Amino acid sequence: MRKKLFAASALLVAATLTLSACGSGDDSGQSVADVSVEAGSDKAATILDQPFEKPDLVLTDTQGKPYDLRAETKGRPTLVYFGYTNCPDVCPLTMSNIAVAKKKLSPADQDKLRIVFVTTDPKRDTPAALGKWLKGIDPQVVGLTGDFATIQAGARTLGISIEPTSKDKNGKTISMHGTQVIAFSPKTDGGYVLYGEDATVDDYIKDLPKLIKGQNP
Amino acid sequence: MSHPRVVSPVRPVRRVRPVRRLAVATAAVLAGALALTGCGSPDSGDSPDGAGLSVGSAYMPQPVSDSMAAGFLVITNKGAAGDVLTRVTSDVAGDVTVHRTVGQTMEEAERLDIPAHGELVLQSGGDHLMFERLKRKPREGEKVSVRLHFAKTSPITVEMPVKSATYNPKTGH
Repeated sequence: MRKKLFAASALLVAATLTLSACGSGDDSGQSVADVSVEAGSDKAATILDQPFEKPDLVLTDTQGKPYDLRAETKGRPTLVYFGYTNCPDVCPLTMSNIAVAKKKLSPADQDKLRIVFVTTDPKRDTPAALGKWLKGIDPQVVGLTGDFATIQAGARTLGISIEPTSKDKNGKTISMHGTQVIAFSPKTDGGYVLYGEDATVDDYIKDLPKLIKGQNP
Repeated sequence: MSHPRVVSPVRPVRRVRPVRRLAVATAAVLAGALALTGCGSPDSGDSPDGAGLSVGSAYMPQPVSDSMAAGFLVITNKGAAGDVLTRVTSDVAGDVTVHRTVGQTMEEAERLDIPAHGELVLQSGGDHLMFERLKRKPREGEKVSVRLHFAKTSPITVEMPVKSATYNPKTGH
């Protein structure tokens, strides 16, 4: 019985492979298993069953003006990341990946997208410091700073835990960045997709057109 | 000072072999590694008294600003004795420190062990070099000179290529 089933599935597999024009028909059972595994693990995006509500944050933008996150990004595809500018590795890489991917979108889609960088180190990241740093990445990115407790509370509603900037025993400053980028849907305003630190520029290039429409990547 | 945390355990060294012949091998390995990473100059990365250390996969993502940059590389130790990366200097920065990423925070590491027959990996998302007080903003396509100082091995100079801000060594672009 089992044997027969296997034969049937092997046939099916062979057919699938032919259809998708994947050349070699040998070892078909094996390769189909591999393909399906790859399709699952390949994705950088994590789609949430229970989307996050957009945090009710009113902070200060790089112009020094109040910025109401919910009001300003309502109905817009929005990416939110928590980081700080004195971070040499993960923060600039994450922001650069998003900024480069954004430039591959049509001008209309670029205008729709909101990219929001919220500092986790508001003491050092003044509006001017944020503005200068973001200019090196993409001047259209919204940079927000403000009261740390407000930022921390906002991050917490998105499952992101950050601690205030502190000094270690040697007087070296230590700050913390968030571990993920959250994509909010233009349709529901819910945070429905997460990207970890290992998401590459190619992942964002592939996914942004879908996120713009509020679709699952 | 504070964080002498060990990256991976250093095997106790019972016997340190004379390394004359190893040095030649190291130079060859180094040349290979350097060629792969496109670090041309033949004399860079040489370690005359080589305890079997070689450096590869070096790159710096083009930094966002002219104040700070990160750098990554892998130090491989083919030798039977462990060594320690004690200090890093560079022509582009007033200050280079080694940082360990611990969860979501970074902290300065005083010294990083390179175990015998092992490697010290500085990679994005993990431990990395942090360049501060930059003399200029390094740009994609350039090379920056980085000198690695060790407890035992003579310093090794690496010509570190500056890659794009989004460079991923896994995809190669």
